[in-house]
Amino acid sequence: MILKTFLKETKELLREGRVRISIVIVLLLLGVAVWISTKQYQNVNEQYAVAKTAERAVWDNQGEKNPHSAAHYGTYAFKPKYPLSLVDQGVDKYAGTSIFLEAHKRNEAQFSAAADQTGLARFGDLTPDFILLFIIPLLIILLGYNSFTKEREMGTLTLLNSQGISHPKWIIGKWAALFLPIFVITALLFLIAGLLLGNLEDFGVFNWSSLAMMFLVYTVYYIVFINVVLLISSLTKKSGIALVISLSVWILACLAAPKAASNIAESKHPYPTRQEFAANVLKDKKQGLDGHNPWSKEAKLLEAQVLKEYGVDSLHQLPFNFSAYRTQKGEEHEAEVYFKHYKFLKDQYANQSKVYSGLAAISPYLPTRFLSMALAHTDYATHWDFADTAEAYRIATQEFLNNNTAQNTQYGQRGYKASADFWQQLPAFEYDPPELNTILTKNRSNMMALGIWLFASFGLLLFTTKTL
Amino acid sequence: MLSYNFKYELKLLLRSRWIQLLSIILLLLFGFSTYNGLQKVEKRKNDILAAKTEIQENDVLMLKLLDSVERGMQVNVPSWTIPSSPMAVGNYHPRVAAMEPQPMAFLATGQADLFTHYVKPTVGGDDAALNFTEMTSPVQLLFGSFDLAFVIIYLLPLLIIAFSYNVLSAEKESGSLRLLAAQPIRIQNWVLQKLALRFFWLSLLVIFSLLTVFFLLGLSPFGNSNTFISLLGLILAYMLFWFALAFLVNLWVGSSAKNAVSLLGLWVVFVLLVPSVLNQLGNTIYPMPSRNLMINELRNMKAEVTEKQDEILDNFLRDHPEYALNDSTQTRGFYHRLMASKKLVKENMEPILQSFEKQLQNQQNWVEKFKWVSPAILAQESLNQMAGTSKADYENYRKQVIVFAEEWREHLLPFLYNNQDFSSNDYANLPSFRYTELTSGSQKGIPMLFLISFLLTAVGLISSRTRNSKEVLNQG
Repeated sequence: MILKTFLKETKELLREGRVRISIVIVLLLLGVAVWISTKQYQNVNEQYAVAKTAERAVWDNQGEKNPHSAAHYGTYAFKPKYPLSLVDQGVDKYAGTSIFLEAHKRNEAQFSAAADQTGLARFGDLTPDFILLFIIPLLIILLGYNSFTKEREMGTLTLLNSQGISHPKWIIGKWAALFLPIFVITALLFLIAGLLLGNLEDFGVFNWSSLAMMFLVYTVYYIVFINVVLLISSLTKKSGIALVISLSVWILACLAAPKAASNIAESKHPYPTRQEFAANVLKDKKQGLDGHNPWSKEAKLLEAQVLKEYGVDSLHQLPFNFSAYRTQKGEEHEAEVYFKHYKFLKDQYANQSKVYSGLAAISPYLPTRFLSMALAHTDYATHWDFADTAEAYRIATQEFLNNNTAQNTQYGQRGYKASADFWQQLPAFEYDPPELNTILTKNRSNMMALGIWLFASFGLLLFTTKTL
Repeated sequence: MLSYNFKYELKLLLRSRWIQLLSIILLLLFGFSTYNGLQKVEKRKNDILAAKTEIQENDVLMLKLLDSVERGMQVNVPSWTIPSSPMAVGNYHPRVAAMEPQPMAFLATGQADLFTHYVKPTVGGDDAALNFTEMTSPVQLLFGSFDLAFVIIYLLPLLIIAFSYNVLSAEKESGSLRLLAAQPIRIQNWVLQKLALRFFWLSLLVIFSLLTVFFLLGLSPFGNSNTFISLLGLILAYMLFWFALAFLVNLWVGSSAKNAVSLLGLWVVFVLLVPSVLNQLGNTIYPMPSRNLMINELRNMKAEVTEKQDEILDNFLRDHPEYALNDSTQTRGFYHRLMASKKLVKENMEPILQSFEKQLQNQQNWVEKFKWVSPAILAQESLNQMAGTSKADYENYRKQVIVFAEEWREHLLPFLYNNQDFSSNDYANLPSFRYTELTSGSQKGIPMLFLISFLLTAVGLISSRTRNSKEVLNQG
């Protein structure tokens, strides 16, 4: 029974023009999207490699210079692009790509691609994730909206009922016929993506298990849509109405819910403006030690403390240069201030995430989107991780530079310059994105949401179609 | 016949509860989106106000300090922040350069979530590094905002499609088409009349619900009647386009389901695909230079400049003999060298920054050339323009800020090179920023949309005239 229904439905689908045309269109769009993204990926990666090497050369060839001048001169951390961004671009377009690492200041990543584009960019891009997340669900609706209504409209439902068919088997057959073409398209896309990525020059952190996981996520997403579309089709009387209701669900889940979620999240848990943030940081910085100001209360306090610790009565007797030591302590205080304020931002975002998770109840799109971005290393969490790694590197760099001055100079000595080959001793900035396991643990709530959708939709479909 | 149709259609719409349902949906959508827009504008205004208040408070402190310094008293602040130094004023007491929201800013978020609405340029800051992007979670930028523009551009067409996809096919499917054929009216005229009436009712509902929402939320549409009228004009023109499409599909396609699928396909093409393809083509044809490579360039230049600071200062002073003449002390310190080098870096970076602007302009021109391909683009552009949140508005603001940053620097530099103290008398002369809005160009999008809609309708009428009426009756 299952097989017969499946074969009959598949034949019907294959014979119908709309199916062939729409599948061809979707494949064509996918092809274009993959091609554009591959080119873009290669382009960005080349620029990244050039920029990174050039920046390191600038740092290494500073010549003789005071270490703290070098700290102010700073260096840049560039954000790499990861292979799976080919499948899902995520928030990459809206997040900055380079962070300036300098003394006393934690800078935000700057130069997002979206800021350099016209207003049209806000409509979205023709990328694989756009097709995977928006267009394929539409295709499912198109293929399946009349799966049951047509039996009603053509009068075959009565015939079927009089034959005494087993409803679950019949439904599974129909379900399989709808699932197969979608599954084939998706599998094909991921296979091509995998082969393309495997053959790219810099293999990077690409691994097949992340890709397979992503494939799984999208398959579940499509199963949820198939279930919902079949459910609607079984509950309505006319094909036209089934279509309109399915589309409304699609609009609600894929278009309206994310936007509404973003509005609610922002009004409930707003970020400060950039200027406010800077002002708050400044206020807190002033409360503590300023490495450049030897006359402040905090500086005097530190002085007394260090003198006591080393049991000496003048700064000249210390085994290191106290000015540089003070600079380093100031640096540490500032790093703490930044840590606090960035933690506030992260907390705000964690709260916003809860809003998104909450709205996942009406939109399977939301958990899928977040999971897919996370697996592709193009989500906000990866961006945070990158920014935090860059900050840790900045703090380490400041310590490295201040220690050099502290150890090589005397208190009160001016005009010290580190030798020209000193700069190369600073380890290079390296960033490794989170591993697959970490990503999955962090996205447990999203996986749960998707899992609930999967089982609930299956349950509802089988339960409500017992009698037709 | 028209009057019969009119009465019949009204009764039909009321009894099938279409009018009631649409009114509720429209009220909800307009209400929620306008409320969201207003909230954003409110936050924007408050942020700017807070920044300005903070500056005012700081200025009071600065004047107090100046007063103390001028009386020769000891002040308890780090030496480099004492405002008698012009550079301290320039760096620690900047002015707020704010972009106040326009009256209709709630209409469309546009680029407002991406860019900042106030900055404080300092004498030491690089203009290139003046960060004009706002601190927003990129997830929010990705999802976009549920604003009035979203409702109009994305959702309204879908309502129209649901409202009109089966005007003819329903008659066919219920068998009443034969009855209609016996009436003294051509089928295509009948479809046209029926759709025109539906357009009329939907327009009334839209206007009515929009006004209701505006009044409920305390907005006065008549305070800004010109923009409000163009907003209505735009909505009607955009709606008319979708009704014209529905007319064509009703005539040409066939069964209800096929109509719905075709109209939906057109919606996907016009609202989702064409804009993104145009954008991507624009990016491919006029690719932005790499920001990362720009950073490399900037770094090399800075490295070079740091080595030659003394030389640069000498050259600068040679070019500006007035400073040498006015200053009797001839002291040259850190800031003298720094500001002269900064000026040089800025001048050298100019061509690189220009290349970004040029490419953006090219992309903008590209969009300009092809925007009529999709009414969604026309509508988005017009709405952003009315709200003052388009890319052009933010470019305009950015340019004005850069001019102001230059003015701020130029105002304070003579103090530095003349080694002249900044005094409380000079406070009143400090420049301040005033944002001038783009002169709102005429809304070319609206007549364009009307034109496209009329052309589509005409095509439908002419083509069906040449076809046999029987075909219309028998197809599908």
